Amino acid sequence: MKTPKQQFGFNQKLLVLTLLAAFGAANAADDEIAKLIKPDSAEVSVGLGMVNGDSRDRTIFGQYNGWRKDDAGLLLDFDYIRRDEATGLWTNAEGRNIGQDNRELSFSQQKQGDWKYSLGYSELVRHEPRTVTTGTGSALNFDLSRKGVTLGAEKWLSSNLLLEANFKSEKKEGTRLSGVGSTCSNIISGLFCTTTTGALLMLPEPIDSTTQQFEAKLNYSGDNFLVSGGYYGSFYNNAKASLNPSVPATLNAGLIDYLQQPVALAPDNQAHQFYVSGNYRFSPATRANFHLARTHATQNQDFGGLAAPGLPGNLDAVLDSTLAQLGLTARPMQKVSLLANWRYEEIEDKTPLALYSDPYTNTRNSSRKANGKAEASYQLLDNYRATVGVDYAFMERDRPVDTAEIPAGSMTALREWTEEGGYRLELKRSMSETFNATFGYVHSEREGERWMQLVPGYPVARYVDIQTANGTFPATMMDRKRDKGRILADWNPSDTVSLQFTFESGKDNYTAPTQKGLHDTGMKSFGVDVAWTLSDDWKMTGYLAQSEQTLHVDHNWGYMAALENVSTSAGMGIVGKPSAGYEIGADLSYLDDNSRYDQAMSSGVAIVGALPDVVYRVTGLKFYGKYALDKNADLRLDLIHQRVKFSEWTWSNFVYADNASVSMQPNQNVTFLGARYIYKFR
Amino acid sequence: MKLLRQVLTLCVCIGVTVGISSSMAADAPKSTGAKEASKDLLLKGDAKCTGCHDEADDTGVSTPSMLEAKPSVLSIGKTRHGTNADSRTPTCTDCHGESNDHNNYKGSGKPPKPDIQLDRHSKTPPTQRNNTCLNCHNRDARHTNWEGSAHQNADLPCTACHSVHAAQDKVRDKKAQAQVCFTCHKEQRTQANKPSHHPILEGKVACSDCHNSHGSVGPKLMKRASVVETCYTCHMEKRGPFVHNHQPVSEDCSNCHNPHGTTADNLLKTRAPFLCNTCHTPHASTQPSLVKGTTPGWWNGSDITQGRACMNCHTQIHGSNNPSGLSPSPQRFFR
Repeated sequence: MKTPKQQFGFNQKLLVLTLLAAFGAANAADDEIAKLIKPDSAEVSVGLGMVNGDSRDRTIFGQYNGWRKDDAGLLLDFDYIRRDEATGLWTNAEGRNIGQDNRELSFSQQKQGDWKYSLGYSELVRHEPRTVTTGTGSALNFDLSRKGVTLGAEKWLSSNLLLEANFKSEKKEGTRLSGVGSTCSNIISGLFCTTTTGALLMLPEPIDSTTQQFEAKLNYSGDNFLVSGGYYGSFYNNAKASLNPSVPATLNAGLIDYLQQPVALAPDNQAHQFYVSGNYRFSPATRANFHLARTHATQNQDFGGLAAPGLPGNLDAVLDSTLAQLGLTARPMQKVSLLANWRYEEIEDKTPLALYSDPYTNTRNSSRKANGKAEASYQLLDNYRATVGVDYAFMERDRPVDTAEIPAGSMTALREWTEEGGYRLELKRSMSETFNATFGYVHSEREGERWMQLVPGYPVARYVDIQTANGTFPATMMDRKRDKGRILADWNPSDTVSLQFTFESGKDNYTAPTQKGLHDTGMKSFGVDVAWTLSDDWKMTGYLAQSEQTLHVDHNWGYMAALENVSTSAGMGIVGKPSAGYEIGADLSYLDDNSRYDQAMSSGVAIVGALPDVVYRVTGLKFYGKYALDKNADLRLDLIHQRVKFSEWTWSNFVYADNASVSMQPNQNVTFLGARYIYKFR
Repeated sequence: MKLLRQVLTLCVCIGVTVGISSSMAADAPKSTGAKEASKDLLLKGDAKCTGCHDEADDTGVSTPSMLEAKPSVLSIGKTRHGTNADSRTPTCTDCHGESNDHNNYKGSGKPPKPDIQLDRHSKTPPTQRNNTCLNCHNRDARHTNWEGSAHQNADLPCTACHSVHAAQDKVRDKKAQAQVCFTCHKEQRTQANKPSHHPILEGKVACSDCHNSHGSVGPKLMKRASVVETCYTCHMEKRGPFVHNHQPVSEDCSNCHNPHGTTADNLLKTRAPFLCNTCHTPHASTQPSLVKGTTPGWWNGSDITQGRACMNCHTQIHGSNNPSGLSPSPQRFFR
């Protein structure tokens, strides 16, 4: 006998399933939607990382990432995000690299559109890639750590008025590679040396300083304008005022006294800046922006043990700076857009002049700078847009009145002012819906007036012997002609493939009343990038780039240097999801950097001890894989392999007077392996 | 009787399925059914977009809802733009326009695009796209100088860098930001891989620590008003003023340094003495070489080339605050 259930086809079981399906579907949909739209998440990632080799294999790799010294370490990160939907209160907490010496912690809360505060803590250690071997054979590895805290707060006082304040304090501690050296002779210093002798010494410089910055700003926004006014204070405090070099007793007695004189370290200094800035919209098509700032900077650290009788106890330095900027943009017609910008900056060095290093006084740097630009763009046809711009720059420096203010001899002259004018042309063309190109060209010329000669013991005066000059004039003040062109192109042959092409070429030619010094610099570069979306789950990227830079400089005593640097880089990456629950990614990068230091003598004599090329080559492979253990937990593996070859002459066979030397392993191969368990709290 | 029971059961099933599902899944998107029945998922009025596509389908086959077709769009709910408690939070149409042609399309094939498209292949002019963002974000002081800035002049839309719908906008993530910037700034991508570099690829320094990509008073989109003022935020020891100042130092750090990376120590643009030779004519009777100099008094050969090169002696090259009048003379930055 058949039961009614069986007879029906639509039975009670079906009804239950239907109900379950209905309720279940609704709940599943709710869950799915909530997962997509709600930011709430809490995640902890914990694991173990290991690197192979010893610390010499990873001086480049581990310079900043915390993996220089330890072979293994804890991998710990966490994230917490919560938003209260009713009030809009966000709570965020984040921890990064907790197990390493570059850890970061942050916490913030904000009621969106009302108030916000944030706290942050950050550490960073730079491990000097080079190792110092002292004269006694000890190995020294210098580290420099930065530990900083940040505090920030915002409050909307009304719908138009926002008050922002932030504070950052950073403690910098460690040791830096430095040195002292000089020649001592009875000519230079009869006080110390009776015979000519000299030495170079490696000197570890201790660092123990604190940097603090505070900024408070009030922003008022109206329908057509925004104005901000604020204060920015920055304070530097150095616990190490000076350093007394330790000089080996094996040196000439006079030289010992000479070199062990104290070295002044960076002095405490502070600056207070008040500013107001903003923008105004005259009409939907015409806008202006402005900035006005006044800065008062001082440096009055006591000279302490460095002070000499009869001289001021501190520099009592005062720099007052004024900065004004005004910009205007307009679109008077649909096809025309205009832009103009003017900026003026004046630095008044009010530091009193005193005779410090007889016969030298302190040096002061007062200057006035102006920069302006104007630009017009016109939409020629639907697919052409042309831009023409002019640029102007002016700089005037107060010249020293006497060579007592500035050491003469290493420079021939200083220039009172320079000005630079130039133009820019750009044409953008949309060649098709999928291909756009931009052609740009820049030309500028810098000139100036009044080279002032620097002859020791004589007043600074107009340089008169310009036709026979054989010295060097500062590159920042020389006449310069600059030409630069570039082509950029974007091509999207399909919805899934995009390519970018770039080509740039430029040259700066320098001239001064001399045949010596800097002649020219040049650059060329090209690059191609491709991005390819293979499917919803797989994406690939790749690039190839090469750049070349040149510099020609002639020394006035005979050598002519032709420097060239060529960098070739390439890379490719892929990310994808091979199947449900799996995610993988890989990046391969390569860089070959070659610097040439060709030289020739103007006299035609042969070069002595020619400088070989400096070659830096790095190949890196990064791979990660992630597997979802369940809906709350993932397992992640990271593999990084890096091979470095650094062939350079900077420190090779170079020995200090106390037999100290500095070195770095030229070939470095390192592999990092990390495994993490990631748990997501629901 | 059987028939009656079958009909009743079927009715209950249908009723339960349709009625309860729709009431429980109040916010769920609709794959089928009339648009009026759609409810907002996350933003005020978003049903106009998120409950879409059914009516445009004339094939008889139901097209997928936004939830099914492009769930990543909904992740905007995880962002500041999805915070409904903030009265300033925009709706879909605030950014994409009313898009009535798109929304009311009844024909076959693809409907017209929304009024304002913000995707990579958008035909909406960049200015119009950016005004969509600036309508609200022009109240942010960080955008004061957007107009006339390098990126604005280059017709860069905000969405070239920002993924507005993404739960985590890559360009606002310190560890990932550089990869976004490298999309255009390829020379910097190469330089960051050189041995002397700021920890950009290590995720400890972001491009935005030094640059304000939204416009700046300073050159090169510097975050503060000048190159030196920006560098001093981390390297304040270089600020001085010193008893003896080195003028190029106080004018522009990039006279000597390339902050993105070099193969010379300390981010120097090229190795000394060649770098120093561009301004100075120092004591060198022979050319820079790897041969130790033999003439004390006028350093030459390896003494001016190797180690710290010129800085072997001129060690305080950023400036000396030493008031001493004795040699080695501080005015030449010896000590």
